[in-house]
Amino acid sequence: MSLIKENLKYSKDHEWILVEGECVTIGITDFAQSALGDIVFVELPEVGRTIEKGTAFGVVESIKSVSDLYAPVSGEVVESNTDLEASPESINESPYESWMIKIKLSNETDLSELLSSDVYQDVCNS
Amino acid sequence: MTELKNTHLSDIHRKLGAKMMPFAGFDMPVQYSSIIEEVKAVRQHVGVFDVSHMGEFFVEGPDTYNFIDFIVSNDVKNVEIGKAVYSPLCREDGSVVDDLIVYKLEEAKALICVNASNIEKDWDHIQKYTNDFDVTMRNASDDYSLLALQGPDAEKTLSCLGFEKELENFEYYSAKKIKISDFEFILARTGYTGEDGFEIFGCHAGIEWAWEKLMTAGVTPCGLASRDVLRLEVAYPLYGHEIHDEVTPLDSALKWTVKLTKDNFVGLEALRSYEPKFRLVKLSIEKGVPRQGYTVENEQGVVIGKITSGSHSVATGRGICLAHVEKINFPSDKKFFINIRNRRFEATYHAKAFVQGGHK
Repeated sequence: MSLIKENLKYSKDHEWILVEGECVTIGITDFAQSALGDIVFVELPEVGRTIEKGTAFGVVESIKSVSDLYAPVSGEVVESNTDLEASPESINESPYESWMIKIKLSNETDLSELLSSDVYQDVCNS
Repeated sequence: MTELKNTHLSDIHRKLGAKMMPFAGFDMPVQYSSIIEEVKAVRQHVGVFDVSHMGEFFVEGPDTYNFIDFIVSNDVKNVEIGKAVYSPLCREDGSVVDDLIVYKLEEAKALICVNASNIEKDWDHIQKYTNDFDVTMRNASDDYSLLALQGPDAEKTLSCLGFEKELENFEYYSAKKIKISDFEFILARTGYTGEDGFEIFGCHAGIEWAWEKLMTAGVTPCGLASRDVLRLEVAYPLYGHEIHDEVTPLDSALKWTVKLTKDNFVGLEALRSYEPKFRLVKLSIEKGVPRQGYTVENEQGVVIGKITSGSHSVATGRGICLAHVEKINFPSDKKFFINIRNRRFEATYHAKAFVQGGHK
């Protein structure tokens, strides 16, 4: 049973999203890290890059597979967690502390499409 | 689609929480805990793999070793009884049907262990040559389960099965029949990890008994994913990747298994005059994971090859791969670049395996 936090929003691509005003923090969920297995490489965008909802903003590689990270919202990258490049395994160990990027939201209506923890739970169960 | 087969131990794997995945028609355990932990267990202590999907053929009769020596490219005949031999199995044109291990159990009886995905293909291929020899063959794949106990602690771990008396003068690549606790086993000091270790063939009930004993002794259960990392770290070829129907052993760094001085074997004539198309190289990169199918380029950006297997090395922390590089375009400066998602990463060329296994 994977861990889902109630105070976060989620995407169907198994990302968690912390919304604080117009600042949005993004990581991958416990379900995602467990499905990927041992994560050994992360590629994140540089600060200042504009990313668009639904497009790939980075890559996470486990021993078994390579997966694109899809932006759940559009905006400008204001912080990128480069620590993860040196210790990608921390995503397996603590997915909800291992944030990947912080975005300054460009379109607030994007938030309405994010999933609540209850709905995300259903996504994981289906 | 044909239904997935289970190994005899599949339910036990599921109870242990293994992730299961279809492989060669079997529902196989891919990982139990984490691939990294399983790799470390085998390199540092001991791990056990259920590899019961592998195929087992018995060859019996006065011509046993004349026959096997004729169908495989390596030298089987001149190796003592009680030893094992790794060899490719080739067609007349030199292309690879499979790779296998021959276990020389008795003067007139051998076990051949083949890849699960090739059981039928190998059987059909080998059957074509039986008529000229006084041998009988039996496909015992459904009757046997197989465990691979691998790692520096494998030898002392065998005492939990009561096998310790069997290990005198039992060096790497030895094999023998043993009887323990009313079960008959074939014990071989072989494996696919580069570490010291054993493969234990037995009836399903006997292997279940052995598995439970090994679990009680605290041996780490390991899945196919860690097995793949382990074999790639020591640069062992895998059928379907480095060797397949379209290449010969000479394209894949297996010259040592092709004895062109033998009087005859299937594929000899073709291999004697064969000019290899590829060289199999070992490359690594500092960051990222080189994967099967990615292209290899020279310094000028010309595509000169393709990755046949790639992964992340647990021991070195680097991305590692084996790649087929076109022999005519082999760069004399040994500068190789790997193209990952349209970015070029300069690779380190390795003359030796990425990891030196500890087998004796």
